[in-house]
Amino acid sequence: MAEATIVKPDLDFVKGVIAAGGESLKKCYQCATCSVVCNVTPDQNPFPRKEMIWAQWGLKDKFKGNPDVWLCQQCNDCTAYCPRGAKPAEVLGAIRKQTIQQYSAPAFLAGLVNNKTFMPVLFLIPAIILLITGGFSIPEGDIVFSNFFPIHTIQFVFTPALLFGLAVGVMGVMKFWKDMKQAAGVTSGDLKGSIIATAKDVISHGKFKDCGVSKDRFLSHFLVFYSFVALAIATGFGVLYIDIFHVMSPFSLFGKGWIVKLFGLAGAAGLLLGVSLMVMNRFKNAAKVGIGSYFDWLLITIIAVVMASGILAYLTRLAGIAGLAYPIYFIHLVFVFSLFVYLPYSKLAHLFYRGTAMCFAKYSGRDKTIDN
Amino acid sequence: MEKKLGVYICKGCNIADTVEIEKLQEVATKEKQIPVCKTHDALCGTEGLELIKNDISGEGVNTVVVAACSPRVKFREFSFPGNLVERINLREFVAWSQEPKTEDTQALAEDYMRMGIVKAQKGDFPEPFMLEETDKSVLVVGGGITGLTSALGVADAGYKAIVVEKSPELGGWAAKMYKQLPQSYPFESLEEPTVKSVAERVISHDNIKVYTSSEVEKIVGFPGQYDVAIKTAGGTEQEKAGSIIMAAGWRPYDAGKLEHLGYGKNPNVITNVQMEEMASSGKITRPSDGKEAKRVAFIQCAGSRDANHLPYCSSFCCLTSLKQAAYVREKNPDAIAYVLYKDIRTPGQYELFYQSMQNDPGVMLTKGEVTGVSEASGGDLLVNVKDTLLGEDVSIEADLVVLATGMVPNTKIEQDVLAEWKKKFDEQLTASGGKPDPNAALEPHKVPNILKLDYKQGPELPGLDEAYGFADSNYICFQYETLRTGIYAAGSVRQPMNMLQSIEDALGASMKAIQCIEATANGYAVHPRAWDQTYPEVNLNKCTSCKRCTEECPFGAIEEDEKGTPFHKMTRCRRCGTCLGSCPERVINFKDFSIDMISSMFKTMDVPDEGLRLLGLVCENDAYPALDAAAMKRQKLPSAIRFVSVRCLGTLNLAWIADALSRGIDGMILLGCKFGENYQCHFVKGSELAQERLGKLQETLGRLMLEPERVELVQLSISDYDKLPEILNEYVEKLDGFEPNPFKEF
Repeated sequence: MAEATIVKPDLDFVKGVIAAGGESLKKCYQCATCSVVCNVTPDQNPFPRKEMIWAQWGLKDKFKGNPDVWLCQQCNDCTAYCPRGAKPAEVLGAIRKQTIQQYSAPAFLAGLVNNKTFMPVLFLIPAIILLITGGFSIPEGDIVFSNFFPIHTIQFVFTPALLFGLAVGVMGVMKFWKDMKQAAGVTSGDLKGSIIATAKDVISHGKFKDCGVSKDRFLSHFLVFYSFVALAIATGFGVLYIDIFHVMSPFSLFGKGWIVKLFGLAGAAGLLLGVSLMVMNRFKNAAKVGIGSYFDWLLITIIAVVMASGILAYLTRLAGIAGLAYPIYFIHLVFVFSLFVYLPYSKLAHLFYRGTAMCFAKYSGRDKTIDN
Repeated sequence: MEKKLGVYICKGCNIADTVEIEKLQEVATKEKQIPVCKTHDALCGTEGLELIKNDISGEGVNTVVVAACSPRVKFREFSFPGNLVERINLREFVAWSQEPKTEDTQALAEDYMRMGIVKAQKGDFPEPFMLEETDKSVLVVGGGITGLTSALGVADAGYKAIVVEKSPELGGWAAKMYKQLPQSYPFESLEEPTVKSVAERVISHDNIKVYTSSEVEKIVGFPGQYDVAIKTAGGTEQEKAGSIIMAAGWRPYDAGKLEHLGYGKNPNVITNVQMEEMASSGKITRPSDGKEAKRVAFIQCAGSRDANHLPYCSSFCCLTSLKQAAYVREKNPDAIAYVLYKDIRTPGQYELFYQSMQNDPGVMLTKGEVTGVSEASGGDLLVNVKDTLLGEDVSIEADLVVLATGMVPNTKIEQDVLAEWKKKFDEQLTASGGKPDPNAALEPHKVPNILKLDYKQGPELPGLDEAYGFADSNYICFQYETLRTGIYAAGSVRQPMNMLQSIEDALGASMKAIQCIEATANGYAVHPRAWDQTYPEVNLNKCTSCKRCTEECPFGAIEEDEKGTPFHKMTRCRRCGTCLGSCPERVINFKDFSIDMISSMFKTMDVPDEGLRLLGLVCENDAYPALDAAAMKRQKLPSAIRFVSVRCLGTLNLAWIADALSRGIDGMILLGCKFGENYQCHFVKGSELAQERLGKLQETLGRLMLEPERVELVQLSISDYDKLPEILNEYVEKLDGFEPNPFKEF
């Protein structure tokens, strides 16, 4: 028994997982139905059974560099079949939230984002920043948002916000990668091949089709994902037109910069559909798998408000209702800012961690889709 | 009383389609000269029953032979109080299990008619055995939760109870608890112990007399009349009782034997009993330095389910550890309680309690095998566990380790005590001129311990090896019943159980104790022949004092006088008839069941020169219902066998076999219960005794030039009905291979 591990449970970690939406954590009695029904787990050392007992025992260190919690795509098959109502999918979600806090510095910001009580503060901060940088008076005449909040101010405020989010995310991911290598004892692998294979998985959304209970999630996630891609393209072209060609907004479908408008509108429509489907699916499956945690709903809310405020700002602008258009536009800016700056702390951080975990699984040979 | 027979043949339920009723009638009227013989389309209907009742009142019929369905059904319909009733099973044994309208079927039915009529002729009206006086008090040995609940059960039903408790206080283990498990839905939170209020009710109850700091000194007598000597602090007191509840409880397994788990080596390894004391006295601390214990590891099955210690599950330890884990968590919300188990076993509704404890963030559970407890620096203990659910072998740091030790029944005599008694026993034997047998083991129930019965068969309840010293007799069919009639074991002296189960058990036993008193007072047998008013009657003139009956009686009902002549203590008897079977002089008989009666039934059978004629001797408790079930499923049974029901295969008297075979009957198959301690036999080992007796017969048969294989004993479960056709057909086939019985010609 010399080589036996000395276990060091952390009661606070257990309580943390429970508070983060894993209320059912302790119900698990390790029957392993979850690992059997899971379509995405590798056969060897399958999840989520082992994660359940690690979390029950507060073995926090076991989650350091654990790619498995991120390989789960929360399809909820395990939760639907769990005979004890232990909801492994929800628990894994809560654990993911805990690991985000572990990797995305500074920890206090991660704590803030994921604490229900601080939600007003969450949006108050960007509002204040925008108020300070933008100054606020509703301009006279035709509704032109750049008169209200100058494009360059936007660039000045939002670019650092996005870069901050990305930097925190990338730093977390690098630490995560190192921990994963250490935990798995893997020193080398086919990094390029793994990245390409992961990119293929992400682009095709193929993994979603492995799931049973929440099959419908494929379409909603697909729509939301590609809508953001479209909006990113629109933003890219926007920058190009404004800064290089000096074509000022608003753009029109029938004028210069039509491509910005085209991607923008397509993205808006896609988001509208995708977010609606997401919400509907959650309600539809609530009886089987639960409605989801604060963590889930925070992200859905941010995206939904970004989408709704974007569309409404556009419509009220066209209708010429300045009293509505400007405030709505302000809300839009607040939420987009939030999306950027909270990127590595909110559920959106899965962009980094899930992507990296998928890649590592291929790199380490845990996911057999590529030959190492 | 002069008997007048009336024979009634039912034509319903396919009987008339299978046999010719007129010919059956002729057997009764012409062959057996029975004056009253009637048939009816549906005898069990109002009209059919009216027919019989009219004959009882009008014709003076007092012995009713009903040739219809199995005696196991319609017994309420065919009940005519004050009259003898004999049932001939034409429906199951003929109509539902034979080819209709064949010669063999007709012959079978006619033989059943003859046998049934002869049985009715040979039977007699029961004259119940009555005690002059029946004491209606119940002696309760043990004042723990079981004893107290039993006493209240008895007392609340209007009977007197006498409680004898060894310690100065009532309440037993339950009174030593810090808190008790929930006793009702939702089975989630611990309760304040309730045993004190139960004890208070007992003390203040008018029908209950309590002796504390007292022990039973001696019990003389039998159900209905026990004289109990009670040794108290102030001397010996005498009480009378009609029946006894033994609730002597348990003791914890000796943790001194668990050195491999650190007990005795490190003061911070304690037992669950010590944990209960610690929780009651305040904080949960490390005995070594008095520091608060923040990490407490519970090791389940400490010395349980282990061939080297207690081989069984005590069924309460998992619950107790979960309860004590709640103490740990309640006293310090930052403390962690580990429960390391082989399997978590929380019987019944206590699954809910397990779930609620499992839900506590600070309770860490895993299956695994504890390989040892070692010491780490700073007074910490390391519990090493392999094969855990964590997927690896782990060591757990703990301030305190609690060993969940199991229950040892107080009826269990430890080996050293037994050896001491054996020594004393042998010395006495040598002193009195006898020679001790070095190989003879002294049976545990011969050592006076709790009841100190003045019985020839020993002072205590004989247990079963498979019951590990618990006072259990036949846990399949009769809980509470012991191998001593009128003495009912309840609570954890009977089986390992928790408090809630003990309370239920206690009430069950109190009802049995009352039933026993009432049955005895009215001249009835107790369970399982609770309707029976007959009893073994012995013709002592012919008794040779061979004592075989005393030896074989499973219930210690037969004592011997100074000359060694056996006599029944009748209210201890359960009327199984084992003594009837054991007696080589055939002097033991019942009014409605005798050696002559069964022999006469064999002799009345028609045994033609050609063709097989076989007998089936069938245990009425399990084999007979199995035959009925086979017939109900319309399984075909061989027509060569005539089945005769007996109280138990233990009634098998070798005279029957001799009588049958010398009549020219080709063979006899005996259908009885499975052997062994995990038995189903209502009377402990009836079929085993029958097998033993058969061993003595084989030689005799050989001398008569008859193949010993003609007589075969089959062990059967009640659920084996589907196997019966095969078993019986194979037997018939085997007998077909033999020459016909040469005695047919005589």
